[in-house]
Amino acid sequence: MISFLGFLLRLAFWLLVAPLLPGIINKVKAWVAGRRGPPTLQLYYDLAKLWRKGVVLSTLASPGFVAGPAVAWVALISAAMLMPLGAAGGALSFRGDVLLLIYLLALARFCTAWAAMETGSAFEGMGAAREVSYAVLSEAALFAAVLALGIHTGSVSLVTMLSPMAGAGALLLAAGLFTVLLAENCRVPFDDPNTHLELTMIHEVMVLDHSGPPLAVILHGASVKLLLFTLLLVQAVLPMGGLSSAGAAGALAAGVLGVTVAVGLVESLMARLAFRRVPLLLTTAFLFCLFALLMAWKGGA
Amino acid sequence: MVSLLLATAAMGMLLSILLGSRAPKAWFAGVLVGAGTAFGAAVLTLVSGEVWRLHSGVRVGGEFIHLQLDALSALFLALLGVIGSLGAWYGREYWSEAAHPRSAGAGRAWWSVLVLCLGLVLVAANGLHFLMAWELFTLAAYFLVTLSRHSRVVRDAGWLYLVASHVAVLSLFAFFGMLAARTGGWELGPMRDRVELAPLFWFALVGFGLKAGMFPLHVWLPSAHANAPSHVSAMLSGMTLKIGIYGLVRFTGWLPVPESAGWVVAGLGLVSAVLGVAFALGQHDLKRLLAYHSVENIGIILIGLGFALVAVAQGNAAWGRLALAGGLLHVWNHGLFKSLLFFAAGSVLHATGTREMSRLGGLWRVMPWTASLFALGAAAISGLPPLNGFVSEWLVFLGLLEAALAHRAAAWGAVMAAILLGLTGALALACFVKVCGVVFLGAPRSAAAAHAHESGPSMRGPMLVLGAACLGIGLAPVVFWPAVSRAVDVWNPSWAGAESPTGLPALGMFHVGLLGVAAVLAVWLWRRVQGGVVTRALTWDCGYVLPTTAMQYTAGSFARIINEWFAWILRPVHHEERSMGSFPARASFSEHTPETVLEYALEPAARMVMQVSRTVRRLQHGRVQAYLLYLLVGLGALAALVLLGNGT
Repeated sequence: MISFLGFLLRLAFWLLVAPLLPGIINKVKAWVAGRRGPPTLQLYYDLAKLWRKGVVLSTLASPGFVAGPAVAWVALISAAMLMPLGAAGGALSFRGDVLLLIYLLALARFCTAWAAMETGSAFEGMGAAREVSYAVLSEAALFAAVLALGIHTGSVSLVTMLSPMAGAGALLLAAGLFTVLLAENCRVPFDDPNTHLELTMIHEVMVLDHSGPPLAVILHGASVKLLLFTLLLVQAVLPMGGLSSAGAAGALAAGVLGVTVAVGLVESLMARLAFRRVPLLLTTAFLFCLFALLMAWKGGA
Repeated sequence: MVSLLLATAAMGMLLSILLGSRAPKAWFAGVLVGAGTAFGAAVLTLVSGEVWRLHSGVRVGGEFIHLQLDALSALFLALLGVIGSLGAWYGREYWSEAAHPRSAGAGRAWWSVLVLCLGLVLVAANGLHFLMAWELFTLAAYFLVTLSRHSRVVRDAGWLYLVASHVAVLSLFAFFGMLAARTGGWELGPMRDRVELAPLFWFALVGFGLKAGMFPLHVWLPSAHANAPSHVSAMLSGMTLKIGIYGLVRFTGWLPVPESAGWVVAGLGLVSAVLGVAFALGQHDLKRLLAYHSVENIGIILIGLGFALVAVAQGNAAWGRLALAGGLLHVWNHGLFKSLLFFAAGSVLHATGTREMSRLGGLWRVMPWTASLFALGAAAISGLPPLNGFVSEWLVFLGLLEAALAHRAAAWGAVMAAILLGLTGALALACFVKVCGVVFLGAPRSAAAAHAHESGPSMRGPMLVLGAACLGIGLAPVVFWPAVSRAVDVWNPSWAGAESPTGLPALGMFHVGLLGVAAVLAVWLWRRVQGGVVTRALTWDCGYVLPTTAMQYTAGSFARIINEWFAWILRPVHHEERSMGSFPARASFSEHTPETVLEYALEPAARMVMQVSRTVRRLQHGRVQAYLLYLLVGLGALAALVLLGNGT
């Protein structure tokens, strides 16, 4: 009973807190630009509005066009369930759960790209092609990061991998994971969520034809993914081993807020990269993670 | 019990060979009985773990018949039973008497020969009989590949297959011959302590590796698998490649191997996995693309086997068990989802008459079953949860991660392998999004695609069974673990008794939950959408009002980014004709990915051999006077040699 209640609380946390992050990012961007900006809770209003709206479906779309976002959302939420939350751990933990998490993200990617290809639009094909191609590099970086954490802690399950403080490679790992976070969540400098030119988009162009409830599901899933990567980054590098559970929760919240503000600052101060530079930056992220792996190796030898 | 089942299986197959060309129904019954009972025998062996043996007083080729079925052969025999019967079922409609009056009968008979001989290879415990069955199944497969031999492409593919297969057979002759010479008999069995036999492994690696299609010995594979009838492609890819794997696993288990064997196998596996999927991304032919994915998956299996060998060399480390179990489970999984994909591709080919992806599109509307089942297979082969491909890749990954954590000599190799395996998974996903999107989604790109039709029940049935199997292994991996674990214990008895990976039951539970919730939510969202206002409109194309099907993203454009990364080995050839001038004529663009190893390495080498031989051939021209002169010169040279030799 207690565990079921814990599960519900955890689910509520992911469902309710995740849409806050894009609001904070937008607030930071507005603040840097000297605007007042949309309210922090704007995404909640948007989701509520979209959920009540009707849908425009492409004449070419099959039921998979709606099922794709639903399955992708479930994959992201289940990945989130595996992610430990400070002292509370994950909803389910076993040896090798970190691989399941990575492949759940892949499942979400498959479904989103599938739904994009449904429309037969060249723009959406373009977005899907970019998404799955760049994901190859960011997944390699993610694997290197996971191996670094695993070698550092001698464990292959997320709970024990993330809880102890990382060693000297923390800085490298932070740089690598932050870059992966930006790429996987389609933020500047990889993608510009505010752009209005279809040719230059990655994620936004994949969902051009979605509207109404399916779009709400996609937007919510994207915010869950952002929170997931933020928590991964914070727990991978922030030393919280010695803190009490309340202190750890506070540190976690502060860390998430810090990363979110950093994303907003990057977005305000940088321009989007040209597409041919994207693989270079992702390779750099991979190298960061690989060097973190080297550090972990030397530390543990 | 096992004896009875195997005897029935042999009788069923023999009967179906005899009846094959004339009585399709009796043939099908024979195959079903034969493959079904073989499957039963395999399952019994896998459940009990007991070894079945048969020593007969009858001699074949001067050797007593000796058959045995242990858990390792049973693992492969079970897969053979599944694909053998389902392929026959599928072939009844796909290569029917009505559509192919000239070749349907031969196709049925050779199918039975192929299944029977594959089974014999799996149970043979005598080197000579192993070779005989091997040669017979190779020939049967050749006749199946070339069923539609009126086409030149098919004949060429068959010829390449035949030549490559016989290079493999040659290498195996050397392997078994030298083994027999050193052990004094053709009998096979565990000989782990005869260290002097270790170098023979290299012959086995070439022979079995060629059959398994490992890079760079895969040259015969893409054209043979693409041009064979689709049920034969499924058999070739799902089963006969695995026979190469069976050989490698069998003889690395029975015989000692050189120190470096594990690293070589793992390295070749990694190269096969990454380059296999890279070449697949460059293909525009649906079945050729699937064929290259076989190279990739064979690579994953070899990574498992290679690291298991490394683990054994390093004192039977426990992670090797996980890696090999993952590899062996992937044998099943690849057999299942690749057959499913080839069946679905065959269904597309059957309905549209083309394998060219740029002529297809929008097929889900007319072929909903094929499209959904292909999507299931695509998700499985991309290693996505909750399907079977993820379970086996997870096991291999877990083995690699544990090896990396062990901080021993193997750790660096394991780290690299884990990253490259992750890369392979992401590339495979990209490739299958491309295939699904271009072939089944969007709008039809040609009249053939627009007027396609769904395949009939006897083509859909086998696909449904395979899809269910893919789902079953994904949802309940714990059920299948003991079978795989028994096979691993046969391979290395010192691992026997180890526990199953602790995460496996949790993984299965998670998969069930994931599938349930995803299904419920997908239906709910669909209901929600249908319950509100639904407007059907043209796809948004930046305000363009008259989109045409030619504006869709093609296979080539989708894979462009990744193909550029791999251009160093893919060497794609572009032909581009831009529209220039004030009154531009037509423009055109075409792209082709050559067979790099075949066209840039093997063919030049073969040409060089031909050139040298042609030069040497001038010596032989039929003029007796000249031959006498050769004799004279030769004698003179010998005499000079002898005289000079005496002089010093």
